[in-house]
Amino acid sequence: MKLYCLSGHPTLPCNVLKFKSTTIMLDCGLDTTSVLNFLPLPLVHSPRLSKLPGWVSKDGTINLEKRELLDLSTIDVILISNYHCMMALPYITEHTGFTGTVYATEPTLQIGRLLMEEVVNFMERVPKAQSATCWKNKEIQRMLPGPLKDAVDVWTWKRCYSMQEVNSALSKVQLVGYSQKVELFGAVQVSPLSSGYSLGSSNWIIQSHHEKVSYVSGSSLLTTHPQPMDQSSLKNSDVLILTGLTQMPTANPDGMLGEFCSNLAMTIRAGGNVLVPCYSSGVIYDLLECLYQFIESASLGTTPFYFISPVANSSLEFSQIFAEWLCHNKQTKVYLPEPPFPHAELIQTNKLKHYPSIHGDFSSEFRQPCVVFTGHPSLRFGDVVHFMELWGKSSLNTIIFTEPDFSYLDALAPYQPLAMKCVYCPIDTRLNFHQVSKLLKEVQPLHVVCPEQYTQPPLTQSHRSDLMLELQPPPMPYRRCSVLNLPFRRRYERVYILPELANSLVPSEIKPGVSVATVSAVVHSKDNKHTLQSVPKPPPVAPSKKRKRVMDEPPVVMTPKPLLSGAVPLEAFLATLQKHGITEVKVEETADGHILHLQAEDTLIQLEEDGTHIVCDNNEPLRTTLRDLVLRFLQKL
Amino acid sequence: MDRECVSLLPRVCEVLAASGSSLPDDTSLEKLLDWFTEVTKAGTSLLESCPCLLEFISSVVHNTTLDPSILSFTLRLSGLVAVTEDAFTVLQQSSVLDLVFNLQHWQEAGLWEDPCIRIGWIQGLRTMMQHPKALGFFVQADFLKPLLQLQTDKSLFVASAANQMLAHVLLSCQSVSSVESNGVDEEGEDVGRSSGSIADLEYPAITVETNQDYAAVVTAISECLKKSLVPRKNSQLHQSLQILKLLALLLAQTRAPLWEKLLQMVADSVYELLAAGYSQLVLPLMDVILAAHSCDANRRVTDQRVSRLLSFMLNIRKPADLIQAAAAFLRRGRHDLVHTAQSARVLLLPLDIITGLNLLTTTADEQQFSMVEQLKNKTSCISMICVCLTNTPQITLTAADCLPCPPVLIVTAVLSLLRLCSGDFSSSSSSSSSCRDVSRNIIGSSKVQKCALEALIALSGSPGVEVKLPEVVTLLVQYLDNPHSDPTVLHKSYQALVRWMSVCSDLSSITDQHRQDLLQVATKRSCDIRWEVRDSTVEFLGRLAGVSVVQTTAEEVSDASVALLGGCCFTTPLLRAALQDPESYVRASAISALAQTLAASWQQGAALTQEHTEIVNQLLEVLSRDTEGFARRAVVRYFIAWLSSRSSHSSPPPLASSSLLMPSVRSVLSRGSADLDWEVKVHTLELAELLLHEAFSGQRGYMKGNPTQTHPYAVIPDTLHTRTHNEEDVVGELNSLVQWGVVSALLSGLVDCDRPVALRACRLLMTLREVVCPLSLGALDATAAMAMVAKVTCELPGCGWAREIRKMLATKAKDAERGCSVGEVVDCDDCGEAGQEAASGGGQTPCVSVCEVLRSLDLDERLDVLTRSSDHVHNSPFSLLQDILTASSAHSQPDTQQEVIVDCY
Repeated sequence: MKLYCLSGHPTLPCNVLKFKSTTIMLDCGLDTTSVLNFLPLPLVHSPRLSKLPGWVSKDGTINLEKRELLDLSTIDVILISNYHCMMALPYITEHTGFTGTVYATEPTLQIGRLLMEEVVNFMERVPKAQSATCWKNKEIQRMLPGPLKDAVDVWTWKRCYSMQEVNSALSKVQLVGYSQKVELFGAVQVSPLSSGYSLGSSNWIIQSHHEKVSYVSGSSLLTTHPQPMDQSSLKNSDVLILTGLTQMPTANPDGMLGEFCSNLAMTIRAGGNVLVPCYSSGVIYDLLECLYQFIESASLGTTPFYFISPVANSSLEFSQIFAEWLCHNKQTKVYLPEPPFPHAELIQTNKLKHYPSIHGDFSSEFRQPCVVFTGHPSLRFGDVVHFMELWGKSSLNTIIFTEPDFSYLDALAPYQPLAMKCVYCPIDTRLNFHQVSKLLKEVQPLHVVCPEQYTQPPLTQSHRSDLMLELQPPPMPYRRCSVLNLPFRRRYERVYILPELANSLVPSEIKPGVSVATVSAVVHSKDNKHTLQSVPKPPPVAPSKKRKRVMDEPPVVMTPKPLLSGAVPLEAFLATLQKHGITEVKVEETADGHILHLQAEDTLIQLEEDGTHIVCDNNEPLRTTLRDLVLRFLQKL
Repeated sequence: MDRECVSLLPRVCEVLAASGSSLPDDTSLEKLLDWFTEVTKAGTSLLESCPCLLEFISSVVHNTTLDPSILSFTLRLSGLVAVTEDAFTVLQQSSVLDLVFNLQHWQEAGLWEDPCIRIGWIQGLRTMMQHPKALGFFVQADFLKPLLQLQTDKSLFVASAANQMLAHVLLSCQSVSSVESNGVDEEGEDVGRSSGSIADLEYPAITVETNQDYAAVVTAISECLKKSLVPRKNSQLHQSLQILKLLALLLAQTRAPLWEKLLQMVADSVYELLAAGYSQLVLPLMDVILAAHSCDANRRVTDQRVSRLLSFMLNIRKPADLIQAAAAFLRRGRHDLVHTAQSARVLLLPLDIITGLNLLTTTADEQQFSMVEQLKNKTSCISMICVCLTNTPQITLTAADCLPCPPVLIVTAVLSLLRLCSGDFSSSSSSSSSCRDVSRNIIGSSKVQKCALEALIALSGSPGVEVKLPEVVTLLVQYLDNPHSDPTVLHKSYQALVRWMSVCSDLSSITDQHRQDLLQVATKRSCDIRWEVRDSTVEFLGRLAGVSVVQTTAEEVSDASVALLGGCCFTTPLLRAALQDPESYVRASAISALAQTLAASWQQGAALTQEHTEIVNQLLEVLSRDTEGFARRAVVRYFIAWLSSRSSHSSPPPLASSSLLMPSVRSVLSRGSADLDWEVKVHTLELAELLLHEAFSGQRGYMKGNPTQTHPYAVIPDTLHTRTHNEEDVVGELNSLVQWGVVSALLSGLVDCDRPVALRACRLLMTLREVVCPLSLGALDATAAMAMVAKVTCELPGCGWAREIRKMLATKAKDAERGCSVGEVVDCDDCGEAGQEAASGGGQTPCVSVCEVLRSLDLDERLDVLTRSSDHVHNSPFSLLQDILTASSAHSQPDTQQEVIVDCY
């Protein structure tokens, strides 16, 4: 069993598991941090941005973390754990010859589609007249200024996919529900489990009859909106692949949420605007829920909240209809019936308004001071670019980063100098090291595989030995492009016996509770199912006058030698020997049994637990006699 | 004793002796006993005043079928009756006593199994043992053995009572023997004797024989202590615990010969127990040793055995126990230098290990090693660190030569620990991996953070720590800014900041960056999502305004709020925003913080700003609108603070401030006295009192505070008499009091249904009466001398409290049957705007003369009624006895039985 690691980013994993003749891709996250190397894409021409020194506006391309480690067309299935970990899907399904199936839950598919749509929309609405690719050449890249010069693997950066590719990719998705068991070619069974991180997010169990691999990616034990994590099903795993822990191990989400609220209130009270660059699904639901409770206490009742995204409406609506994927608390609301998320009420009371973009209705209803939620968190494209240009010059305004995916200082770089206040409160609800060690203590996998980043404290806090995984036995680390041999052997395989063959078996009990029978059969393997069939009888030779055809010799059926079992009792054996005239026997006790030295005959008999040897030179009759004597004491099958 | 009660008592005794099941509730017997105890304490002999008790006791003791609670009551009563020697003799002669305390009697009746009989027996004996005769009785009856057995009784209460009793017996024996042996006690040196000790009693005739008896008792008890101190099995730890408690009690109270003897007997056992190393016994053992030690200290001679035990204790192997012992030693106060230094070192060791600062120059490797091992365990690490931190103040209190390092270094260590707690390892100088293992245990532990902040607060006063101020401020601001700080941690950080500001009044070391950070953080925290945090922030802003500091730039004294946050221009807007907070606690804190912030400007008589006017309006709004009492109380207190700052100011009150203050006070008085919350009303009356004081201080007859409470011989300061009595003054002041609504507030308070309100109002009205129309002047004199004053009237509208007052006046008038014009409508030309308005509105608002009202309301009588507690009737012994009788009659006549539900609470 092998694990190919295609991504070095622990929260945007992409691994391929070769297990029992299947090739399973686990997630296909897209690391988009390379967009930080590009200039923002403004909706309207920005003279300031276009005059930035050393920067040249280029085509919007995106990094793709892939290497020719293995032929992607051989992949049988792709298992998706959550909507953030599927953004590279079109690159894999569309251009590699992929012919398999993608498995994901319904919310993952729908919200993933929204996120992709949003990115494509952001990219396509600011079309580039021309695209350039020559700079990806290493020789030319060397001459580029500043950080660009040092960017790694530039040649892997790809153009953003189109809506058509998205649709095609997503058409290959097969929907699954939690705990649903999916057979893959009869070899393994995969089933998703709730992971508690986001709507429809899942961990995967991949198991055969005798082996079990758990894939834990992006899980959360916090009580936010999704269904709680299913931990018990992860028990008894041979291997547990652990990815997607929190990116902010020192930032506890509750504290960050509090920080978010107080900074927001502080800015609004001082008459400023708040900008929250965020994804259009996920944490934003929790932010809105928190604000719903906070608005009253902070007397922000009249401040408008705007959510601007091409998919804002769908995201808010979708969250309300996926009731079965929500936590118990929210599920019960549906039966009342009430909308599970309180943002419905915010919309009803006009406190929260959503718009597809800054054009149209929004511009006529825009009122300040206000709070704006909009994408993209990288500040390189999307409506957020516009708000940065609009509000960046006033120190009254605040930008609050809540998504942990991008370095906020890098994100802000092209907008410097910036007067607006900047607050970083990354909210990452995924497991932290403390929770993970508790979880692993609970589920006790035999082996843990994880990105190497988790096996040492973060570089910036080398003393924090509490910010790493400490396990016994130590976890197996992987890095980008590594290929791991997972440490377990296949020992057993399940084989079926056809009824008629089973009927012919004659089991005999060799010790209490254990019966043995010998069987001669033909193994028939198809679709990874193995069946024993009776040996076909040689067809009767047809008395035909036709030309004798050259026929395959039917397998020569040989009656196998009977198997022996039992032990030779020493006393009784000696007595028998005596009866046969062998009297001078010297018995020597060894670690495994006894050695009988027949002194007169100059012969040795070694009686051991799993074998008997008769050492007797040039006296075949004696040997045969002795053999027969030994056989008398053993059972034959 | 009340004659009425005495007359009821025989019947009550009959009822009790007949059956115990018909008591009104299970507390009656206790109450009865309390009453008897009170009577005895007052010096009345129970037997003389209630001879029926003897009969009661003897009849009950024979009747073992009675309810055990009655029997237990009788046991205790017998002890109480026999507390004097005479009564004891009477009881003994009537052979009641022998039977009452006869163990066999109770055992045979099968009642001894009941714990309440056992405890009755112990307590009865204990009460009785106040004179040598009782002691003699105790010795002769050989009660010692059963008492020792009761020490390990199943019932915790019985065991504890037996413990107390044993201590009592020993101490009694000690006094008796010391009287006998020394003849004259060395009164001067007898410091260790407890006040409750019976050594004060005189024992005239002690025979040699009895003395031998006592010696035997002492020996028996100490033998027993010695024997049962060391547990044979783990299950006997409980017994050792009991014995240790007793021993601690004894060693602290006994004196020389007995003390010596006890110590001699038990020292070895204690040593053995120490060596056995039971963690549960560390603290009780320490108690015993310290009791011996502190007793020792009085004698100024250190006993070698005690000292040896102590040294052993401070060198135990188990680090957790060691720290407990050291902490217990330091907490005790009086110490010797050697052990203090040792304890300090023990307590500083964990800090030394974690922070890697060299607090202790040398430590035994073995001790260090075992400590590190213990600290690696998270739970014990946190608890040990917390014990150390809680005791750091004690460490710094000790003499400098005992300290292994200067206090500054301890502050540095605490700061370093606080940094580690928030995950900041940058300043940590400990490099070994084991130390890092230890320090990761405390990351994010709010318990450690709280203890460390408390230690930081306590350390602020230590000499030479001022240099740390900038570092402390930086750290505290970081803590305040940290999004993961617990609300209580934030609260403590604020406290620490205020504390350090007030101690280190020189703020020259505070940089602008500090100020800016603090400003930022305070603003952010005032918008926090948790109300506790908002509350602490607002409170902090107020507290800071109350701390005066020196800014060296101009050697100018200002308050810390100005020095750190730029004063009102920053804090006031924040506090005003907090007035809108949905949480009432925050609103209340904001109001008091506003008062503290503005106090300075009031005292300096600064001109009134538009902002202040708005604040006052906002506050008045709060007073009339707010749904929660806290905020409304705070508003009244705000005005009290304002008014008192004005009156405490020596120069004449600035006009500007008054022009706003007085009209608002008027509305505060009217709204406050109509409030539903009694505390608001009491505060309102306090405001009224301030106004009274301002008006009449120096007038003849005016006495600040409660007139009934002033001592008749108290010297009244001359300053009070500087202003001569001037009728016109009085009239003028009274008029303004009426106009401000003080008189109405007082009158409405008088008829308030809440007793504290009525009481306060009544006292104030009496004060007013003393000034305006003292009763000491005859009616004629009064009319002659105070004709002008009498003309001052106030309104009594026809509703609410005024109706009550009118009713009272009318009754009074009827009673008096005099042709006096009380309550008669007086024509009011000069009774203010409100009166005229009411008159023009059609409804006649009657006005009455203030003087007449004050004289006619029977204030003294009312005060009398109000001073008594509301349940004085129900709590009287007479009522108790009656209850018992009624309940029994109800019980005996089932047909007329009503369910008597008595709520004991």
